[in-house]
Amino acid sequence: MGRFWRLVGAAVLALSGLFVLAQEEDDPVKEAEKQKKQLLEQSGGILPSDLFVAQGEQLFKAKRGPKNASLEACDFGRGPGKLEGVVGRLPRYFFDTRKVEDLDSRIRSCMINLQGFRPEEIRRSEVVAIAFYIASLSNEQPMTVRPLMPQEKRLYELGERLFYLRAGPRDMSCATCHVTYVGKRAGVLPYSDILKDKRAASHWPAFRYSNDQGWTMADRIRGCYTVLGMPAPDFYSEPIIALTLFMNVQANGVRMDLPGFIR
Amino acid sequence: MRRFYLPAVLLLLLGLASGQTGSSYITPELQRLIQAGGQSYASALLRQDPGQALCSTHRNRLPAEVLGPFIEEQRKTIRYPADGKLMGDWKQGDAIFNTLARGNCFSCHVGSPRNIGGNVGPSLEKYGQRGTSEAVQKYTYEVIYNTWAYFPCTVMYRFGHGGLLKPEEIAHVVAYLLDPASDFNTKPALRR
Repeated sequence: MGRFWRLVGAAVLALSGLFVLAQEEDDPVKEAEKQKKQLLEQSGGILPSDLFVAQGEQLFKAKRGPKNASLEACDFGRGPGKLEGVVGRLPRYFFDTRKVEDLDSRIRSCMINLQGFRPEEIRRSEVVAIAFYIASLSNEQPMTVRPLMPQEKRLYELGERLFYLRAGPRDMSCATCHVTYVGKRAGVLPYSDILKDKRAASHWPAFRYSNDQGWTMADRIRGCYTVLGMPAPDFYSEPIIALTLFMNVQANGVRMDLPGFIR
Repeated sequence: MRRFYLPAVLLLLLGLASGQTGSSYITPELQRLIQAGGQSYASALLRQDPGQALCSTHRNRLPAEVLGPFIEEQRKTIRYPADGKLMGDWKQGDAIFNTLARGNCFSCHVGSPRNIGGNVGPSLEKYGQRGTSEAVQKYTYEVIYNTWAYFPCTVMYRFGHGGLLKPEEIAHVVAYLLDPASDFNTKPALRR
């Protein structure tokens, strides 16, 4: 008799375990934490994003390009060489380039202006690695993007307008999924809430365990356009910077989780 | 008469020359921003149609005075299969409904016995209970061809209008949903 009840107890425990597991998979944040833990155990404490960061640090500090210079003099908004927390203050206007720039395009500008690379020589994989390195120095810093300059205000407004623009053969806009159908599910994950969930925009660049790639916000935006049957805007182009500015402002105040680790 | 005609033509030519899209949502400033994203990106976005512009402007909640003419315009776009049959072959409809790169219907709707459904759209479980009357066939066909004729600005693709499915293919999907012999109606729906 006692053995029977022990068996029943074990079965009930196993079933409730399954139930909890099924529930956890519904929350993308918890699911990502689980995956992160698994990866850490398998690799002995190293995450793939750590490798991006290490590679980025090397690229950042090495003397490279026609001018044989490192990127250490690059100003990301807090002065040359000051990297702490800068990701939470981008995109912003820069006087030297006379443009509003995000993390990716600022790295590119410095590779061109400080190191002397020609635009066509800039490798995307290097920009992503450098972005991961810089992001690692902004971890747990607050997002504080305040469009105050006229150029920033203008780009913010255009970014918002672009966010709600419906177009293409599928009549899509960013807002269709990330405002109107927030929390609903078409496929694996529920849509993130760009306007209200400050975590949504504040974990880029991020490692994606589902495809084993390092993505910046630019890759995320381009991916959204592509899966909806529209051509993506060029890397480092104004539409990407405008959308990033709009979304980062929505995340103001949150402590950033960088580099992100997501599905 | 002629006096009015000439300025109108000049204005039109001026508009064409400056690359105006004709979309009321895309301001000249937004147009310049979009063009900075590259040629193929710009050509897709600047082709925004008047219906898309209205939904963008009103953030998908059309005011009463716009609603009537909007629905009227959407209805006008609907075309039917050449043979007039709104119910085709449910097996071909099955393939369209359950393929990501074709109809991709299952991603948003519960009801397929082959794929776990999403909840962006309403559940279509046992859709065939509605019968196969002409009215039900027509409604189902038209909602798939141009859903904005019934649900203005909703997320569902206007499959016929957008050129994503041909009229005959839409008729196959209608059959998949309505035919009493279809797997959709004889087998249980998969859900999470």
